[in-house]
Amino acid sequence: MPKKIVKGQELSQPARASARVLKRLYVREVPDEHKPAEALKWLDYYRKDRRSLVMAMESCVKCGVCANECHAYLGTKDPNNIPAGRADLMRKVYKRYFTVQGRLFGNLVGAEEITMDTLEKWYSYYYQCTECRRCGHVCPFGIDTCEVTMAGREILWGIGMVPDLQGAASAAVYERGNQGNMTKQALIETHDFLSDEIEEERGLRMEFPVDKPNSDILYVPSSADYLLNPETLKGACQFFEYVGANWTISSHMTEAGNFGLLTEQHSVQRELVERLWRTVAELGIKKIVFGECGHGWRAWKMYTPSLTDYAIAGAGYDYHKRVPIVHVHDEVAAYVKLGKLKLNPRDNRLVPVGQSVTLHDPCNYCRACNLIQNLRVNLYASVPEVREMTPNGEKNFCCGGGSAVLYDDPEMFELRGKFSLKKVAQIKATEADILCAPCSICKAQFYGILHEYHHLDIPINGLIDFVGAALVFKGHRQI
Amino acid sequence: MELFVGKILPYVTVAILLGGITWRIWRWMIGRIVHNITLAPFPSSWGAAVAWILWQIVSFWNIFKFDKPLWVGAWPMHVALVSIFGGHVLGIATLGSQFHLLLPWIVTEAQSEAASNALGTTFGLIFLVALLYLLYRRFAVEKVRVISAPSDYLHLLLLIVIVGVGDYMRLFHAVAVEYLAARDFMLGLILFHPGPMPVIHETGLMNWYFFVHFLAVQIMLIIFPFSKLMHPFGILWNRWIYNRPYPEPPMGMPGVKLKL
Repeated sequence: MPKKIVKGQELSQPARASARVLKRLYVREVPDEHKPAEALKWLDYYRKDRRSLVMAMESCVKCGVCANECHAYLGTKDPNNIPAGRADLMRKVYKRYFTVQGRLFGNLVGAEEITMDTLEKWYSYYYQCTECRRCGHVCPFGIDTCEVTMAGREILWGIGMVPDLQGAASAAVYERGNQGNMTKQALIETHDFLSDEIEEERGLRMEFPVDKPNSDILYVPSSADYLLNPETLKGACQFFEYVGANWTISSHMTEAGNFGLLTEQHSVQRELVERLWRTVAELGIKKIVFGECGHGWRAWKMYTPSLTDYAIAGAGYDYHKRVPIVHVHDEVAAYVKLGKLKLNPRDNRLVPVGQSVTLHDPCNYCRACNLIQNLRVNLYASVPEVREMTPNGEKNFCCGGGSAVLYDDPEMFELRGKFSLKKVAQIKATEADILCAPCSICKAQFYGILHEYHHLDIPINGLIDFVGAALVFKGHRQI
Repeated sequence: MELFVGKILPYVTVAILLGGITWRIWRWMIGRIVHNITLAPFPSSWGAAVAWILWQIVSFWNIFKFDKPLWVGAWPMHVALVSIFGGHVLGIATLGSQFHLLLPWIVTEAQSEAASNALGTTFGLIFLVALLYLLYRRFAVEKVRVISAPSDYLHLLLLIVIVGVGDYMRLFHAVAVEYLAARDFMLGLILFHPGPMPVIHETGLMNWYFFVHFLAVQIMLIIFPFSKLMHPFGILWNRWIYNRPYPEPPMGMPGVKLKL
C-alpha cells in the first residue's frame, strides 16, 4: 500500500480490505466526504456505551509514565505511539465535540476538528497499537489505552476502513467458523497426518475426534495451529488421551482466537460466540477447553459471559456457568499441582539434553487473564531448565505482533520489527536455546520477525507442546 | 472589583464547582462497564481490590515503580497540596489551635499556632518547589513535552501563582493575613453576609496579594470540573473498572478417567 502523507508526515498503514472482502463482512464503505461525520456519530455512540472509553478520554493528566513502558514507542520513538499520545488522536476530537472546555477553548486544550486526515491517522496508529495493556498496567490511574484502540478500530470498521488481514480473517469466520478458512476435510486430513506423527514418535496411535456427538469436552484449538504450530495440536491431543477424556474438536467452531475482540466486537466477536454455544448444544458438551491463543483466551474468558446475553437451546439464564470455559493450561496445571501427570522433563523430545527454555508471557494471559502462575507450573514441570526474562509476568513486554498486527506490507513489516526490539533484547539476554510462546499471534510474530528480521535463529514452540512431549505413557516408548 | 471577586464570584464559583463535578460524574456513569476487563493479577476479593486502589492513591505506587523522577515531584506535590488544603480548613476554622483541640493535654494553644505556621510554611515551600520541578519536567523531558497541550502548562502556572502569592504572604509578615481576619471573611461568605476582604493592617489598605490569591483559587475551582484537575475523582471511577475480582470456574474435567 502506498504511504499516505498527512500534513507532511508519512503514515504507515496496513493494506485495506477490498470491496469484495467488505461485502463478505456485510460492511458498506462510507464515501470519503461523509466519513468524518459518520465517524463522529460512532464516537458519540461508543462514549455513551462504554465507561472505559469515557474514562480514558477524560482522566489522563499527561504525566508521561506510559511512554517508556510501551514497546511501540521504545521501538519507533514516534510521539503518536506513546499510549497517551495515541489516545490523544481520539481525545482531541472527543474534546472538540463532547466537552465544554474543547468547545470554548479549542486550541488551548488541544482540541481538533475531525477530518479525513484524522481518520487516516487513526487508521495508521490504531493498527500500530498491539492492545497489550502494558500502559493500563503502568498508568497511575489505570487508564487502558487498549480500550481506545478497540473503539478506534470499531469506528473505522463502521465506516469501512478495514485492514485486509483482519477483514479476510473475519470473513472466513462468517463462512467457516475459523480465521484460516479451513474446511472440515482439511481438519480431518491434518488430524490424520498428526496422528501418524504421534504414532511414529510414541508407538501409540491417538485420534483427534471431530464433531463427535455426546462428547464431554470440546477442545477449541487456534486455527493457526493447523497451519503453523502442529506441535501444539499434538501436545493437547496427548494430554487429553493421557487423562482419558471424552473429547472432540468441532469443525463448525475451530477458532480459539477471536479477531472480533480486537477490531469489531459487535458482529464478528458475537458470530464466534454464537457458533460456540450452538456447537455446545449440538454435541452435548459439558466443559469447553480452549487452546493456546492470547487475545482469544481473553475474548472467551472475560467477554463470553457478557456476550451470552440470549437464551441458548432453552438452557436457561446462566448457561456459561453450567458449561464452564477453561484454558487448557489451567486444567493441566491443576493436574500438575496434584502430581497426577507423569512428566519427565529430562526426556523431552522438543528440548534436547542440556538446552534451556525461556518463557514469553503473552500479554493477554498475563495482564488480562491471570494465567501467570499456571504457565510456570506447567513449564517448570515439562522442561529441564527454564530461564526467566526480565521483566516477566504481568510486566512483560509484548512480542510486537499483538492484536494481529501481523502485516506483511514492507513498511508495516519494518514496524513489526521495531515493535519487537525490546522483546528481542529480552530473549537474547536470557541466552536460552528455545523460546516458549504459548500464543498463536506471538508465534506467528516470532516466526516472521525473529528469523527474518532479527536473524535470531531460535526454535519457537507453544507450552502445551512441551507438556505433551514430556508426558510418560505407560508401556510406550518416548522418543 | 472587590465587590465582584469578594462577594459575588465566590457563590458562582461554588455553584459551578459542585454542579460541574456532579454533571461530570453523571456523564461518566452514562456508559456501562460492558465486560469484566479487570487487570491481572486479579484481586482476590472486593476488599483486596479496594485496598489496592487506596494504596495506589496514597502512595502513587505505579509512578514510584515505573517513573521515579516523576514520583520525586508528583508525590510531595500532592502531599503538600492535601496538607495545605487541610491546613486552610482547620487552621482558619480553629484560628490555628487545631493541634491543641486534637491533643489538649499535650499541645498548648500557642504551640499549636506555631506548629500550624511552621507546617504551613514548610508545605507551602515544598508545594512551590515541586510545582516548579514539574513545570520544568514538562518542558525538558521530551516524552512529556510532545504529549502536552497548552492547558497542561497553564494548570501548573495557575497553581504556581496561587502558591507563590500564598507563600509570599506567609513569609513577609507585612502582607500576611491573620487567622482571625481570614476566618471573619470566610464566615461572612458562608453565612451569606459577605464582609470586606482582609486588609494590610499597617496601612489599612486593600491587600492585593490576598486578592490575587483568592481570585486565582476561584479560577482554579471554576475550571476544576472542566479539566484534567478532575483526576482525583477520575482515578476512583477508572480503577473501579479495572481493579475488580473475577470468579474463576472450578477445575477438573467431566468424564475423564484420570480424575483430579
